[in-house]
Amino acid sequence: MKKLLCTVLLSVAAMGFVCLTTAKAASVKIGLMCPLTGKWASEGQDMKNIVSLLVDQANARGGMNGMTVELVVEDDAGDPRTAALAAQKLASSGVVAVIGTYGSAVTEASQNILAESEIVQIGTGSTSVRLTQKGLPLFFRTCPRDDAQGVAAGAAIVRGGYKKVALLHDNSSYARGLAEESQAVLKKAGVNVIFFDALTPGERDYNAILTKLHAADPDLVFFTGYYPETGMLLRQKKEMGWNVAMMGGDAANHQDLVKIAGVDAAEGYFFVSPPLPQDLDSQAAKDFLAAYKAKYNSVPVSVWAVLAGDAFKTLEAAIAAGKTDAAAIAEFLHGLKGLQGFSGELGFDAKGDRLGEFYRTYTVAKDGHFALQPK
Amino acid sequence: MEQFFQQLLNGLAVGGIYALVALGYTMVYGVLKLINFAHGDLFTIGAYLGFTLLVSCKLAGMMPVTLAVLLVFVLAGLFVALIGYLLERTAYRPLRRADRLSAVVSALGASIFFQNAVMLVSDARTQVFPDFLRPTFTVHIFGMGVPGVRLLIIAASVLLMLGLWAFIQRTRTGAAIRAVAIDQGASRLMGINVDRIISLVFLIGPGLGGIAGLMVGLCYGQIDFVMGWGYGLKAFIAAILGGIGNIPGAMLGGFLLGIIETLAAGYIAIAWKDAIAFCVLILILIIRPTGILGERTADKL
Repeated sequence: MKKLLCTVLLSVAAMGFVCLTTAKAASVKIGLMCPLTGKWASEGQDMKNIVSLLVDQANARGGMNGMTVELVVEDDAGDPRTAALAAQKLASSGVVAVIGTYGSAVTEASQNILAESEIVQIGTGSTSVRLTQKGLPLFFRTCPRDDAQGVAAGAAIVRGGYKKVALLHDNSSYARGLAEESQAVLKKAGVNVIFFDALTPGERDYNAILTKLHAADPDLVFFTGYYPETGMLLRQKKEMGWNVAMMGGDAANHQDLVKIAGVDAAEGYFFVSPPLPQDLDSQAAKDFLAAYKAKYNSVPVSVWAVLAGDAFKTLEAAIAAGKTDAAAIAEFLHGLKGLQGFSGELGFDAKGDRLGEFYRTYTVAKDGHFALQPK
Repeated sequence: MEQFFQQLLNGLAVGGIYALVALGYTMVYGVLKLINFAHGDLFTIGAYLGFTLLVSCKLAGMMPVTLAVLLVFVLAGLFVALIGYLLERTAYRPLRRADRLSAVVSALGASIFFQNAVMLVSDARTQVFPDFLRPTFTVHIFGMGVPGVRLLIIAASVLLMLGLWAFIQRTRTGAAIRAVAIDQGASRLMGINVDRIISLVFLIGPGLGGIAGLMVGLCYGQIDFVMGWGYGLKAFIAAILGGIGNIPGAMLGGFLLGIIETLAAGYIAIAWKDAIAFCVLILILIIRPTGILGERTADKL
């Protein structure tokens, strides 16, 4: 009995060794760093689900460039210190590239460790501007930068043909930043900003502000703050009988907006925002989300997790083109343009920032739901 | 000029609410020399209570909407009055003979208690009143379209204040309230039941505050558990501006503060409106330390 067991064990070990050596020859290891525990755990779980599904799909198609893909997942707990450890573990596990992670500060803690180990990193929910200002040649991101929203908002205003814009923020650093960036963009585009001021958030009565705005007679009011104040402004604007167009940023993207404003007052209001996963309209995204739903019986909660899938797509393109070491992959990615991803076209500039428009415009439809506008 | 009148009306609507809430502060201060810091939260409770009755209990579906809203105004006023009465019995009366600071701390504690209770019972999220509960007509005055709700708010607050004014000036109980405000000891010697008068004040003030809260909820459509803080602070200032302890002063202070705020927002800078309103307050207090209509100095706090 003992002898039999020994033989079985030995043969299993031998088989395992053979497998390992053959796998080593024709596999590529990709790391995924995401918050599987901690406050952003649901985000991390979605990231893991998405990338695992994509890896399975790639392997089912015969791998990338003939090589099977191995996914190494490390938990960063949404915490910079844990992220540093996770990055070290990934670096010693022999991955060629790392996807992740969510949170700029968390990503930043892993940046230098991965850079020193010469591993490509593609951030997914890391919007802080400075991440790509450090001259790291192997760092990329599929998410937009913090200042991209102002550009997107400015573009939407120019597209809409508005000539006299009133900008209103609520003095929060987010809303003020967006208002200032939009102002700069609009100035460059030759659109008149005839009004720039801030309201006090949390108040109930904005009639004084609206009366003043009305006197300035803009053809568009752009309030960059959050949905409760936006809802009040829309409602009180309607009560005044003033039918000016109004728009907002992604802080307005909340269904309560319509409840607060009332459907009548909210209709026609539009805002720029990252698209929600279920609203993504590319065929690739629809197919993928169907497969995702079939496997996990849910839909990713936010678009940031979907960006991990986009990061995988860019790596897949690089490896399929025969690039296997970090330097070659990075070179390929720097020149990448117009790759069809889930959240739109993918590409990177010289700094590693994502190219192509990511923000989309939503309009409140007649029945009060947020309708994604075609590009 | 049209814009000026529009802003004036905006200011009157905002000020009407300030004035109603300020009445609660000033009445309590008048008889007890106590700033009831929980008053703003009673205002919140009024709004939430109305929301619960109208939306969650579906009172609005059982009868004509106007009737339901009027009924809920009465119910909310009565219920908040009851809470005000209980507040006085539990948090203030045991401290009546204690150091003045103890009562102030007790008031702050009650405020924190109410705020958290509302948050825990309902939700930390903003609650939204459905649209159909509000009158939506527009009135045209001198060619300006004015939302009917604003006129109703102004009218309702003026009516409530006039009613209170008549009650205080024309009835025996009102005379008793005035007497207690002037001298509690002497009132007691004259056969006035001081405790009962104080309880009455704690029924009227919070009742009006609760009604104001519901008015804000219905008019602006959204309520949250911290809404009382902002209104409470502004109303407190309005009460001081008019002369704390003085009922016409609270009304005047409320309307004045509302108008100053809207005019500052309309003609100077929106972001600076509160700063400007407070500067005006400081100026008035420098010139008249007792407030515009105040007779006694607010030296107790």
